[in-house]
Amino acid sequence: MTERFPVITGVGIIAAPGCGMDQIWPAIGGGQTGLKPLTLFRSPRYGQLPVGEISTDLTELGAPLHGSRSDKLAWIAAREAIHSAQLDTRSGGERTGVLLGSSVGGTYDSERFLTALIKQKKMFARPTRFHECSSPVDLVADSFGLFGPSFAISTACSSGALALATAAELIQSGQADVMLAGGTDSLSHTTWAGFHSLLLVDLQGCRPFDAARGGMSFGEGAAVLVLEAEAHARQRGATILARLTGWGASCDAHHVTAPHPEGAGALAAMQAALRRAGLSPSEIGYVNAHGTGTRDNDLAEGKALKSLFGGDVPPFSSTKRLFGHALAASGAIEAVVCIEALRRQELPPNPGFTQPDPIIGLTPVTELRPAKLQHVMSNSFGFGGNNAVLIFSTPDTVPRTRPTPNLSVIVTGLGVIAPEKGVLTERPIQPPLPPAVVKVRACGPLTDVATLTPNQRRRLSRITQMAILAARRSHEPDATKRLAVALGTGFGCLEEGAIFIENLMTKDEAEPMPTRFPGSVHNAPAGQVAIDLGACGLNSAPTMGEISFESALWQAMNQIATGEADEALAGAVDELNKYPLSIGQRWGYWNDQTVPGEAAVIANLASSASNRPALARVTALRLGRYRQPFHAADEADWIAAAVDLTKIDLVVSGAKGSPALEAHYLAVVAELSRRAGRPLTHHTYKQDCGEFYSASAIGFALAVTLAREQRRNVLLYTLSLRSGKALCYIEP
Amino acid sequence: MAIATTELKAQIIESLNLQDITPDQIEDDAPLFGAGLGLDSIDALELVVMLEKNYGIVIKDIEEGRPAFRSVRTLAEFIAARRSTS
Repeated sequence: MTERFPVITGVGIIAAPGCGMDQIWPAIGGGQTGLKPLTLFRSPRYGQLPVGEISTDLTELGAPLHGSRSDKLAWIAAREAIHSAQLDTRSGGERTGVLLGSSVGGTYDSERFLTALIKQKKMFARPTRFHECSSPVDLVADSFGLFGPSFAISTACSSGALALATAAELIQSGQADVMLAGGTDSLSHTTWAGFHSLLLVDLQGCRPFDAARGGMSFGEGAAVLVLEAEAHARQRGATILARLTGWGASCDAHHVTAPHPEGAGALAAMQAALRRAGLSPSEIGYVNAHGTGTRDNDLAEGKALKSLFGGDVPPFSSTKRLFGHALAASGAIEAVVCIEALRRQELPPNPGFTQPDPIIGLTPVTELRPAKLQHVMSNSFGFGGNNAVLIFSTPDTVPRTRPTPNLSVIVTGLGVIAPEKGVLTERPIQPPLPPAVVKVRACGPLTDVATLTPNQRRRLSRITQMAILAARRSHEPDATKRLAVALGTGFGCLEEGAIFIENLMTKDEAEPMPTRFPGSVHNAPAGQVAIDLGACGLNSAPTMGEISFESALWQAMNQIATGEADEALAGAVDELNKYPLSIGQRWGYWNDQTVPGEAAVIANLASSASNRPALARVTALRLGRYRQPFHAADEADWIAAAVDLTKIDLVVSGAKGSPALEAHYLAVVAELSRRAGRPLTHHTYKQDCGEFYSASAIGFALAVTLAREQRRNVLLYTLSLRSGKALCYIEP
Repeated sequence: MAIATTELKAQIIESLNLQDITPDQIEDDAPLFGAGLGLDSIDALELVVMLEKNYGIVIKDIEEGRPAFRSVRTLAEFIAARRSTS
């Protein structure tokens, strides 16, 4: 089998200094700040501090009229990336996927909805259609006709880098030939107020690694790379801009906002990336630091750099004062900076630095200067101690060969917190929403909540407590095992987020909420599970509507397949919240069949080669997007490419939920039965747990139970309303 | 003007959601952070919010509040000193 080295054949970028590298590199070389006074929204408490705001009208740049600000930024960067790669997306869309990091998602647009609701008592729910962090992925995939594996990653400030690392894994494992990968995040009042509540903002604009630094500055933007299997790029005659040779992820498992004081997680991620690339530290010619400008981050990163490189730290810089900290986009923006540095053989400077900090004891690059570069490193670290590191190399580099991973694992434990079968409860909708009552399927009281620590009980929201309890039920602690966590979610921590934003809007920033802000990010449950279990491996929070669980399962299985983790927790979590209840009711989405639900489900996975007792085996997993109009025959072909149809005994599907998908599911089961030459038994789960984005995790628990108890081969098949699809094959 | 430490303890308990703790369980001189009540940097930020809400004292740099957050007594003294200067 030919090597599937990931190479970069196109880049697209939009950020405060401009659109495209032709505009941005001169700004980098000038060593200036790209920060200007905030104008996007009004901030009575903090005023017009310097931020990396994009002042151009996005629709003038050709962005679609509909979509969130983050969606439009992603679309603009993706268009440029496709153009620069000369990628013909009309052919080969089946093997091309989209993987973007986003942590703000449509929050900026949802804030318009909330302002109208709270201040004018008017409900214009349209902007909330684009609220999810997966919305940019849907827009890019639909606009450019891409049908390969696609999802979003929402791990705060490391999202963009983790998306690139995961896209490289999808290419290396053969799931895709081409990936549009990167990150996008707009400014939002929520993240603005949130970081201010943590006293992490430098009023003078960020000054990374400077002795007088006082915090971060906000930014916004998007960057998208065309990542491609080398053989595919060569076959179509594409120009290779650079290679992605190394990537590594880790979790501090230390604290929700503070980095590990010695930078232990940052060091582990840098070491993992070097290991993957087969490089020694001395071969790295430049490091684009995370360098947010906060006191603790820069100090911890400096320590990690000194631990890794000893007395010989290579030239490094943070470009955050040029772009601002664009959160989930920053890892992708800085990846583009690294690729351009390699192409031009120049070192980008670190604007904002004037005085060395004697405690850090390191001086970054202060002026643009030429250098001989073959390998460069890019660091991204985020909330929840979430670390991702990338290594880019020149096109002439001979990459280290690796065996193609075998994506097969065993399930050794399941933790399920789900609604009780047959129980419907009435949930009153509270202000500021119009009063109403919605029938729901809710999880009951958490029976083992008393086993949580006092700090977990007083500070963590219910969804995060559910995740911790489900994880504990699935996992037997073993300090000798390297543990990864991938916890999918559709809507994330909506309760915490809603309380935070309502407070922000009604009190006009007067009462900050420093505990709730980090508790409202999508990766809060995954990060807290890692702290609870000491899980220092990959920590991911993928999100993709109804296939959020399968996206997490893929990441977890791949960590075991590539030997990066001994065990991995794969799961998904979503909670009931008055906003989707109310908006869904207004749109007529909830009815007698489609009842909103919630759950936390986590499976403990181990290698098939391990001698742990197994509940079942997961032997195939595939992600993709279906075409409109929907054809069951196409779907059966897609499933047949991963699973021997004659061996399937049972199908577990997401039917009996949303009526819009009912006919699709029934047609696919009928087609599979026809091809198997016998009627396949069809099981469903949404009649018991309700309809919600993480529901297929309940389907997975059902499939594992059926495989184990009936000794049958089970296909778990899931569709999303926005064209995502997933299959998972479970054998006894 | 000195402020009653019992009242301050009740405010700390409320702002930090210390569900299982009563004011008489917190000693005036016991450390609030680290081993004491198991509080951390996020709790310090909640105390910053509490000081502004209840006493009108604005802290913009957490370093400024650090000496005050050692114990209930140091916090009471800090509040008294800030009030007399403003």
